Amino acid sequence: MNDLDALQRDALAAIEAAEHLDDLDEVRVRFTGKRSDLTAIQKGMRDLEPEERKARGQALNAFREAFQAAFDARYEQLQGAALRERLEAERLDLTLPPRRVPPGRPHLLTQVEQEMLDVFIGMGFRVAEGPEAESGSYNFDLLNIEPDHPARQEMDTIYVDGFDDVVLRTHTSPVQSRVMTTSEPPIAVVCPGRTYRADAVDATHSPVFSQIEGLYVAEDVHMAHLRGTLLAFARAMFGADREIRLRPSFFPFTEPSAEVDVSFDGPGGNHGWLEILGAGMVDPNVLTFCGIDPDRYSGFAFGIGIERVAMLRHQVRDIRELFEADARFLARF
Amino acid sequence: MKLPLSWLRELVDLDLDVDDLTAVMSLSGLEVEDVTRPGAGASGIRTARVLHWEPHPDADTLRLVRVTGEGGDGEVEVVCGASNFDVGDVVVHALPGGFVPGVTGPDGGKGLTLEARRIRGVTSQGMIASAKELEVGDDHTGILVLDPDTPLGAPLDELIPVGDPVIEIAVQADRGDHLSILGVARDLAAILDTGWRVPQVPADPDGASVPVTLRTAACSAFHTWTLDDVHIGGSPLWLRQRLAQCGMRPIDVAVDVTNLVMLELGQPLHAFDLDRVRGPALTVREADGPEHLTTLDGQRRELVAGDLVIDDAERAVSLAGVMGGGDTEVSASTRRILLEGAVWEPTTIRATSRRLGLTSEASNRFERGVDPQGAGRAVARAAGLLQDLAGARPTGGGAALTEPEPDWAGRPTVTLDTTRVRRTLALDLSDADQVGLLERAGATVTATDVGTLSVTPPSWRRDLRRPADLTEEIIRLHGYDQVPEVMPALPTTGGLTAAQQLERDARQLALAAGFHEAKTRPFVGDDAIDGLVPSDGRVRLANPLAQDAAAMRPSLIEGLLQAVRHNHGQGRPGIALAELGRCFRPVQDPLAAALDAVVGDGWRWTDPEGQPIPVQPQVLALAAQGLKLGDGWLDVETRWSVTDLIDVFDRVARHLSPPDDDAWKLTRVPIERDGYHPGRSASLRLRGQEIGVVGQLHPEEADRRDLPEPVVVGELLLEPFLAAVPADGHPPIQARTLVRHPAMTVDVALVADESVAYATLEQAVRDGAGSLLDELWWFDEYRGAQVGEGRRSVAMRLRLQDPDRQLTDEDAERTIASIGEVAGAIGATLRR
Repeated sequence: MNDLDALQRDALAAIEAAEHLDDLDEVRVRFTGKRSDLTAIQKGMRDLEPEERKARGQALNAFREAFQAAFDARYEQLQGAALRERLEAERLDLTLPPRRVPPGRPHLLTQVEQEMLDVFIGMGFRVAEGPEAESGSYNFDLLNIEPDHPARQEMDTIYVDGFDDVVLRTHTSPVQSRVMTTSEPPIAVVCPGRTYRADAVDATHSPVFSQIEGLYVAEDVHMAHLRGTLLAFARAMFGADREIRLRPSFFPFTEPSAEVDVSFDGPGGNHGWLEILGAGMVDPNVLTFCGIDPDRYSGFAFGIGIERVAMLRHQVRDIRELFEADARFLARF
Repeated sequence: MKLPLSWLRELVDLDLDVDDLTAVMSLSGLEVEDVTRPGAGASGIRTARVLHWEPHPDADTLRLVRVTGEGGDGEVEVVCGASNFDVGDVVVHALPGGFVPGVTGPDGGKGLTLEARRIRGVTSQGMIASAKELEVGDDHTGILVLDPDTPLGAPLDELIPVGDPVIEIAVQADRGDHLSILGVARDLAAILDTGWRVPQVPADPDGASVPVTLRTAACSAFHTWTLDDVHIGGSPLWLRQRLAQCGMRPIDVAVDVTNLVMLELGQPLHAFDLDRVRGPALTVREADGPEHLTTLDGQRRELVAGDLVIDDAERAVSLAGVMGGGDTEVSASTRRILLEGAVWEPTTIRATSRRLGLTSEASNRFERGVDPQGAGRAVARAAGLLQDLAGARPTGGGAALTEPEPDWAGRPTVTLDTTRVRRTLALDLSDADQVGLLERAGATVTATDVGTLSVTPPSWRRDLRRPADLTEEIIRLHGYDQVPEVMPALPTTGGLTAAQQLERDARQLALAAGFHEAKTRPFVGDDAIDGLVPSDGRVRLANPLAQDAAAMRPSLIEGLLQAVRHNHGQGRPGIALAELGRCFRPVQDPLAAALDAVVGDGWRWTDPEGQPIPVQPQVLALAAQGLKLGDGWLDVETRWSVTDLIDVFDRVARHLSPPDDDAWKLTRVPIERDGYHPGRSASLRLRGQEIGVVGQLHPEEADRRDLPEPVVVGELLLEPFLAAVPADGHPPIQARTLVRHPAMTVDVALVADESVAYATLEQAVRDGAGSLLDELWWFDEYRGAQVGEGRRSVAMRLRLQDPDRQLTDEDAERTIASIGEVAGAIGATLRR
């Protein structure tokens, strides 16, 4: 009996002394494995008298139970400690910025253009596009801009060499002439794209800029439709409380023609108007030139400078920033 | 056009102040650009007579001048730097304490308050002022010397309206009538529904003027007056101020009067020295071939057939409507004047003016159209002023008219459908309302039928020719703000086409990979780097803004590289940019040929006659340089690589192509091209045609651009994909049955010479694996002793599966063996 008591004392002390799960396993092998004293004691049982063997068996069971209970308790302790240790080791500083290249940003002009297009698409307009180096016929003649009319001179056209009459389009209206000469009313299109003028680069001028022009030709289109459409546009882009104002103007391709202002509330209760676009009722000559009967159909058209809207809305003060591709600018929007 | 308010008030009844007036003008088609008040604030300035002057004892260029005192008597001493005056002249004297508006103050601001000041030892009591200092002109070569009869001691603002507001308007291209005070006054009267008037003019003189023969219908009227006893001197102060307010310089009284009348009435006039006109007789004709005329500006001009000239009995003396001739110019010694006012056809004047590159105040007005009925009145007005200001005595007057009146000068009667006006404007404007508005504009209106008006526009309104023009005039005078707002119910379905949506998607795919979208100016010089399908073909500009912007970009890469350079210059460790836009090539170009081959017909733009215009397909371009970086994180290990670009282009091609169609897959063929790294550049091909390029810049090219390596660039034509998108989009992607039997993973490595491309090795593996192959990934590339010099090993992981059964080890063995066989045929061996 004494040997078992001593063994149990030693075993429990060893379990208590184990610092790691590996040590604990070693203790288990040392005290209960095939070559352990316990195994030797078990083997010695077969030489005992039945009475003695029974008592010895009970003592062995008691030893095993005590060992197992101590082992399990220690195992649980050590396993918990090990997990805590691992978790501690795996701690991440989640305030570190992620190691990842984020998606790039669409250009401000793209964002504004798409937003504007989507407003008109929601009203029922389709999107039409055309070439930037354009035939003078589509850019001027079909739009009632006569070759020697002062309006044509004022457009500061850039001409393409080697062709009779090809220009860098001065507006996206030639897309309208393309659509009108190839389709029947009702026509409702918006035409986004790049346009060109022979302007030297400065803070407010760029030889290349972009526009969205709109055209609606159908039966009984009137000027109130133009006003309603532009008011809805201005409110979608600038705010639901905006108003618009039409001022008489001249464009060869519209009659009546108007410059359109949108209202703004500046700091300190400063109310005013900002010019955002030109518009008007399609000139009957344009309809005739494009093969549409002006007695049956009428229409309105408008042209919006995308740079201007972007600069007004986002407080961009120098148009050059739109074209120099500085990452600080590009990533900002 | 600059409009002095005091001048406008002479011709139209205005009870608005300048702010209210400009507000009304801006809303009525008279776009106000600026309001200035030249001379505003002038005080303590009055007229004085020069009593005595002597050179300043200590300064050669200064004079000590004694002028009359404040009340016109007494004496005041002033130091003066000018020398264009003498004893007896009346000058303008600014007293100490007075404010001189045209002198820069000590703080750099506008205007100066005078003090008595010692100049080289002599105290100057104020100053004697020049026109510029008073802001009644820009002359600063001497002081302002007035008419000797001017009362002395008179404050300046009693002589002229000092600080009179000058309203500058932008004149619309179709409103030539706005190029005069009278024209704007008339329009304001129409807008405000108030009264207007023309200046009084003398009656025609009894005598005959010189004989005039009209030989061209490009002149509808030619009015002349002859005047004797003219004394050519300077103009009075009021006249000089008016010219200055309108931005013109005084010359002499004859020229100044013709300019004044042009500004006032819109009719350009010309004054000939009658004694230099041979004959005297005039003939108006078209030049019939090359001939020469020296114009007033001293230039010898070559005239061609179609230009309009005025001859005297012997030679051409004036380039009609543009500029007079030098030989018959009025000079200080002129005693007899021939005043001429004519009406010229706008298109002819414009053609001459453009061809000669010579625009004048006259040509500017004639080419926009003057009032064909206004020339006679203008000549009489000028003659009357010369009577008053230069002592002239009219001796004769006359008019030569082309009859019948040429079409271009006529104002045809327009038939107006009032119902249509109401419909166009969405306004219930009665017939009477419409008549009233048109009559306010000066038109003669009669109702010919119910709902039909016969409208004859006034002679000065060349822009009112059609019902649409009258409709605009009606709403302009009624007020654009009266038009209601109605949202139209469009009968069309809006939206993007499938191709437009895919184009947006292509941009998003590039952005998703970390590229920011740039927009660059599409002009290049001659040293732009080649992009896809290089050629020398350029779409050149006839009038480029600069020599380094003389052509449209044949490729987007140059623009992006310059943007990369900009960002590097800003100290960025890395940058990745994308641009979506058009490149430009001539009609005949290898790029166009490639598109013809890949797309077929229908992708080229033409003019209305079907003639081709430059080729300009949509391109997606990428450029990247330096380190990859995120939001607050810098990857010092990884630089942008050409493979990053390939990945984007492959994704774009796949997304824009019909699903599951291998014919649309881009193939990459190594290329050697100027400016590009010979081992890191590839042509992107579709059905054998180059439609894109990717590459790393050659080290020397990167160095030339002062860019740290690596710099990677590429571009892909979107046209082949977009052109092939059906109107309703590509067919929807069909689901694939998912195999439920477990898949088997097998790794194989092939060893081959370096010259064997990965694509070849992969194809061998695919061919060998056959139908069991589901997916394939390469995961290792090895070079070294184990595979031998000049060779490499590429390892791939294969996912095998069979829809009908579970695969066994035998399947794997068979697959590997089969791959080994196929690989052998291309000179590769299995490495196991």
